[in-house]
Amino acid sequence: MVLLSAPRWLRSRVTDRFWRVQEVLKYARHFRGRKNRCYKLAVRSVCRAFVRSTKARREKKRFLRALWITRIEAACLEHGLKYPGFISNLLKSQVELNRKMIADLAIYEPKTFKSLAALAERRRQEGFLAALGDGKEPEGIFSRIVHHY
Amino acid sequence: RYVRQLQRLQLQFSPTAADTRGARQFVEEAALDFARQHPDVVLYINPRSCPAPVLLAEYLNGTVREELIANKTSEEIVQLATKLAGQSGLDIIRIRKPFHTNNPSIQGQWHPLTNKPSTLTVQGPRLQPQ
Repeated sequence: MVLLSAPRWLRSRVTDRFWRVQEVLKYARHFRGRKNRCYKLAVRSVCRAFVRSTKARREKKRFLRALWITRIEAACLEHGLKYPGFISNLLKSQVELNRKMIADLAIYEPKTFKSLAALAERRRQEGFLAALGDGKEPEGIFSRIVHHY
Repeated sequence: RYVRQLQRLQLQFSPTAADTRGARQFVEEAALDFARQHPDVVLYINPRSCPAPVLLAEYLNGTVREELIANKTSEEIVQLATKLAGQSGLDIIRIRKPFHTNNPSIQGQWHPLTNKPSTLTVQGPRLQPQ
């Protein structure tokens, strides 16, 4: 360090304190109360806000998945199916759409979603026949599996 | 065909200041090469008395970007200029989604009456009240 003794230290002053303070306050402008104006309060609030935003990135994925599931459940109830049956029958018919895309289809392409619901319903009925009928009837058409080796 | 989004680069510096050494070297040596390599960018050199040397970049969509070049070497200014020449004038902020459509719905967006029987909305002489 160059400024080794007290008399040398006192000769240098901070001249850009305003900009150092503004760097922090610009992230606190939309806060409520005195923490959007006063630096001492704003430092604590901004630090906590950043920590919360980093932690929330993991929560956001869970939250969005729950939102999609709610939307798909509402949409397939309109067509007379329940969500677990819908998803499991779609997977059994080898339709590997994730919940985000199914939710977007349900909002923006309702007819496509209706056909997906009909497919799931048909596969469900064929599953019941295969489980209860026991062997004598031929296998259902939509229960066939395509192997992509 | 590719249209370069950078319209003009204005180099404003005062020839006698001490921190414009890099800018003066750039003007002497590398400015002509830069101008030849980028024929569709107009390079203006303005030696005037300004407090700090500035490289002003104007883009086709109207955005103006100022970059300080005080105490930078000639090579750094060349790199900065090539970086600005490769950018478009869009704001450098976080892009929220990597996709965008003007027509999100082809079959018609869902509304509460899409999956209801049409007897609820249709009114006509042939319709019997239920």
